Amino acid sequence: MPKLKRDLTMEQQLARGPLDMPFLMLVVLLTVIGVIMVFSASYATALNQGRQATYYFARQAAFAGAGLAAMYVISKINYQHFRWMSVFVLGISIVLLILVFPFGYGKAEVGAQRWIRMPGIGSLQPSEVAKVGVILYFAARLCKRNTEKKKHFDREIPKGKALAFLDQIGFLELVPYILVLGVVVLLVLLEPHMSGTILIIAGAAAVLFAAGIHWGWFVGGGGFIVAALWFIITKTPYMTKRINLWKDPWAYPKDGGYQIIQSLYAIGSGGLFGVGFGQGRQKLGFLPEPENDFVFSVVCEELGLVGAGLILVLFAMLVLRGYWIALHARDRFGSLMVVGIITLLAVQVFLNISVVTNFMPTTGISLPFFSYGGTALMIQLGEMGIVLSVSRQVPAPKQG
Amino acid sequence: MEKETRNQNRRERIRIIPDRKANRTILWRTIILMLLFGAVTFAPLFHRLYTIQIKEHATYQQRAIDQQTMDNAVSANRGRILDANGKVLAMSATVYDVIISPKDFENLQANWDKAFTDNSGRILTEKKNYYPRPEAEDIANELAAILELEPEKVLQRLEKDSYYEIAASRVEDEVADQIRALITDRHLSNSVYLIPTAKRYYPYGSLASQLIGWVNWRNDNKGAYGMEALYEKELAGETGRVVTAKDGKNRELRYSFQDYYDASDGNDLTLTVDTTIQYYSERILEKGIEMFDVQNGGFVIAMDPKTGAIKAWANSPTYNLNDPWDVTDPILSQYLETVQNDPTALEDAYNTALKDMRNRQWRNRAINDTYEPGSTFKSMVLAAALEEGVVNENSTFYCPGFYVVADRTISCSKKAPGHGSQDLAQAVANSCNPAFMMIGQALGAEKFYDYLEDFGFLEATGVDMQGESHINPVSAGLIWRRDKFTSANGITNLATASFGQGLQVTPIQLITAASAVINGGHLMEPYVMQSVTTPDGTVIKQNESTEVRQVVSEETSRRCRAILEGVVDGGTGKRAYVPGYRIGGKTGSSETLESRRGEDRTIVSFLGFAPADDPQIVVLLAFDKPLPATPGNNLTAKGYYISGGNMAAMMAGELLGDILDYMEVEKVYSEEERAKIDMTVPNVVGQTAQIGREAAQNSGFAVRTVGEGETVTAQIPAGGAVIPSGSEIVLYLGQEKPTDLVTVPDLRGQTAAQAQATLAQVGLYLKISGSSSYMSSNAIVAGQDLTIGAEVEQGTVITCSFSDNTMID
Repeated sequence: MPKLKRDLTMEQQLARGPLDMPFLMLVVLLTVIGVIMVFSASYATALNQGRQATYYFARQAAFAGAGLAAMYVISKINYQHFRWMSVFVLGISIVLLILVFPFGYGKAEVGAQRWIRMPGIGSLQPSEVAKVGVILYFAARLCKRNTEKKKHFDREIPKGKALAFLDQIGFLELVPYILVLGVVVLLVLLEPHMSGTILIIAGAAAVLFAAGIHWGWFVGGGGFIVAALWFIITKTPYMTKRINLWKDPWAYPKDGGYQIIQSLYAIGSGGLFGVGFGQGRQKLGFLPEPENDFVFSVVCEELGLVGAGLILVLFAMLVLRGYWIALHARDRFGSLMVVGIITLLAVQVFLNISVVTNFMPTTGISLPFFSYGGTALMIQLGEMGIVLSVSRQVPAPKQG
Repeated sequence: MEKETRNQNRRERIRIIPDRKANRTILWRTIILMLLFGAVTFAPLFHRLYTIQIKEHATYQQRAIDQQTMDNAVSANRGRILDANGKVLAMSATVYDVIISPKDFENLQANWDKAFTDNSGRILTEKKNYYPRPEAEDIANELAAILELEPEKVLQRLEKDSYYEIAASRVEDEVADQIRALITDRHLSNSVYLIPTAKRYYPYGSLASQLIGWVNWRNDNKGAYGMEALYEKELAGETGRVVTAKDGKNRELRYSFQDYYDASDGNDLTLTVDTTIQYYSERILEKGIEMFDVQNGGFVIAMDPKTGAIKAWANSPTYNLNDPWDVTDPILSQYLETVQNDPTALEDAYNTALKDMRNRQWRNRAINDTYEPGSTFKSMVLAAALEEGVVNENSTFYCPGFYVVADRTISCSKKAPGHGSQDLAQAVANSCNPAFMMIGQALGAEKFYDYLEDFGFLEATGVDMQGESHINPVSAGLIWRRDKFTSANGITNLATASFGQGLQVTPIQLITAASAVINGGHLMEPYVMQSVTTPDGTVIKQNESTEVRQVVSEETSRRCRAILEGVVDGGTGKRAYVPGYRIGGKTGSSETLESRRGEDRTIVSFLGFAPADDPQIVVLLAFDKPLPATPGNNLTAKGYYISGGNMAAMMAGELLGDILDYMEVEKVYSEEERAKIDMTVPNVVGQTAQIGREAAQNSGFAVRTVGEGETVTAQIPAGGAVIPSGSEIVLYLGQEKPTDLVTVPDLRGQTAAQAQATLAQVGLYLKISGSSSYMSSNAIVAGQDLTIGAEVEQGTVITCSFSDNTMID
């Protein structure tokens, strides 16, 4: 016999609040459009590989269905439980990041050890899990930073004096975060997985920023990253070439520029209204892996500026609604968690579309809800489930 | 109760908002992130999309379409090239490239396996529509058999990892039909297919090759040389296109979209050239080159002197238009062989040599090259002098064998005592250089130069042919400048120019000028294109004869014709004489730069026209560098004296005879000629003695009978033999002719009369090659067609060629 509302605790009642419908609708809409576009983008590849035309579509659709179900289930969880779960998620992701070295694969295929085979669901990228783990853990910790006991140091001895100084500038507070993030980033970099690293740092930074860490640290950290990138770009031939390739892909038509050239052809030939759904020709052996990182090029070619712009608007609305949920969340934990997840999503969308339009140099970042990849889609939808779970506890606007 | 609730609410509110400061921080910072990631970062993305999709749309679309489509040209049918009588000199037909797609072949086999084997691998022969599995080796063998290739090589291609392998290019229709049959029989559909393409055929092979030219299938079937290149626009038509979508692996997407642009066929080009005259010209050129050991080939131009229409245009060395890269000329290919077998030659020496030889055979020397015309040029000097009235038929010239001009002694071709006293006609007939130097001086340098200009030697003739230089001959250093020529220092130049040396002209310039001399004084613009017609036969362009200017009067021209006829009628050109035809002309033996250096290179030439009273054809024939038997010798190894009168005139006579016969110009024989012309021996075996005798006598033969019978049982020579009329024919009445063999005697050095007598003694007959009834007492046998000492039947005809070594021009 189901419990009636009046039998529930306050907490339980709050957790049964209504889902944020706009956010839910946007997620469902983007997922459905994404799966359909995967079909259009992948059938030629599938046929070429001697598979059924619907091979990739069917798999993606199945994962999308499972993912939407998982999202609903997660949204049902009272997100307060994620506070304690966060430690385990982080722990599991670090274990997975370590296990990927002996048990994973990818070295032979793309030169980086990124995937672990999971019986039943296919393959999993531990870095995907790590993103969530870091955000959850940081949010769970940072939401309590104002209630933490003020530390006292013996200012008579130099060590105490130094510690007091570090505490004053807010460094001591950061140490655990730097350590956790350091371990995760190091493991991801070892795979190596540059784009994964960027996203994990972006998600973590967003949570730290929102939590109120002094802006100076972000200026300093940002400055450090820019300096490091500058050094890498100018001093290492590999990155220098990437930058040259970005500036003028036509100078390297065979040697790395091919993909971006084909992407630009696809986007450019779309025009205002596109060549029509399914009518794209760039996916017919010109654009490499059109169902994956470059799925948005196919969208642009087939649906034109109008269709692609509409999808961008949907993404923007999703992001804005996400932040709206963060702003209205019941507590700081919810806020920070949603900020982390939504920022991660926004950065990923921004980077992917920047790459396919050659606004930024190429890195392998997939487009949320669109790029083919079952487990990644499920994890994304899981994250959306967390946001929805937070949305359930948004206090209703005051009546009258 | 109410109070309690309120309290609870207050407590909750307190609990919900425990730290306003921390919450406000999160609020503001989230709003910052919201603005940043919800709005700011999307702006550049929209901008990028707008730039690529709208502003640069056309560029990217074009590039994308370029790589997404196969643009196959549909060749328009190239127009034909026809001769004056409509005979096809060049035509296009469809040929096919045979393409293999190994990848599709693999799929084909896989599909077969799926269709005709079960899971255990058993072949289901009983299944409907069963056919044997297309095995790579079998297909390769069958293809190789049809295409005449090595099976291993075809197999290699068939097993490559590709979609497009050319198995054979440009195969003919019959082969294509066999391939089609193979494709159907073996169910090969997409894995073997044919792509149609155009091929140019030249039905006459090497005929008029430099004139017609050829299309280069390696360069889009565009005209590479000759009329094919010059009239490319008219002939080519407009290429059509089929645009088909393709995928990234270069496979056609047949059902995606296709666009057709129709091809429009090219126009037909009719030339003034007559295939028969062209054939005669090339035959005589080849014959002369062989006969006189000519090293540098030669040329023949035949033209209608009244209109300037080119009737024949032959060059040697030549080549086969159907395979222009192949070097077939015996002298050129021998040179190549020498280079190839030379162990000291550099690595690419052969390729360089091959390139040189190809360029030589493709070269249209009768228009590209210049030469010093030598004595043939005297025709123009004669016309100028007659026109200006500085000489006339009664003028006399004394030739002691040399002439002194400005302290320089220039010798005549006939050394001392020279030609002695001669009138104008004799001086021309003798081709006497001192006489012409006198004529030149009488004319004066200014007038002489005027006539150089008027006869067109200082300009291009304007013939519609590829390769005529439009550079002024003066600036090219081929002819003197007027001021230099007319100055006091120019006097020796005037002297040599008077007999055609020291100036360089093209053969087409010379024959055009000579036509003006004989056609009534009209300098015509030569032309090759008669008309251009559309494929349905509508004439859209027609060439009319164009007169450039009148150079000399009709009367002067008539007088020149009469004098030049005398050159053939007993003068240096007498070997060009053909009984029944009135032929005029002028011989020439040109000095060359090499010959002045002491090397053996003479260009022997003959300018001839007929009939002399109303010229319908003019020919210019030249042989470049007949090889002397020993360096410096005047005779070739075969005993021919190296001179235009002896070599070129003989060939020109035969050529003119053939051409006039072909043109059906009526023959008019004099009594003397009638006695000497060759006649065909009638076959009278089986006839009565009386009828046989009459038949033979009617043909102009003497008859001797042997035996007493009533009917002719045998005759010598056999019916059909061609021998000089007046020869004796033996009829056997009731007897068999003697079967004992006779020995061929040595006739060398004998005159025609002597040779005829020698042969008659043993029952053999003489036939004179070339101009048949020429029997000058000076001409001696230079060659005979049957080996000396050979045993032959009585009545055999021995053909002898003669050389008159006293003839010098």
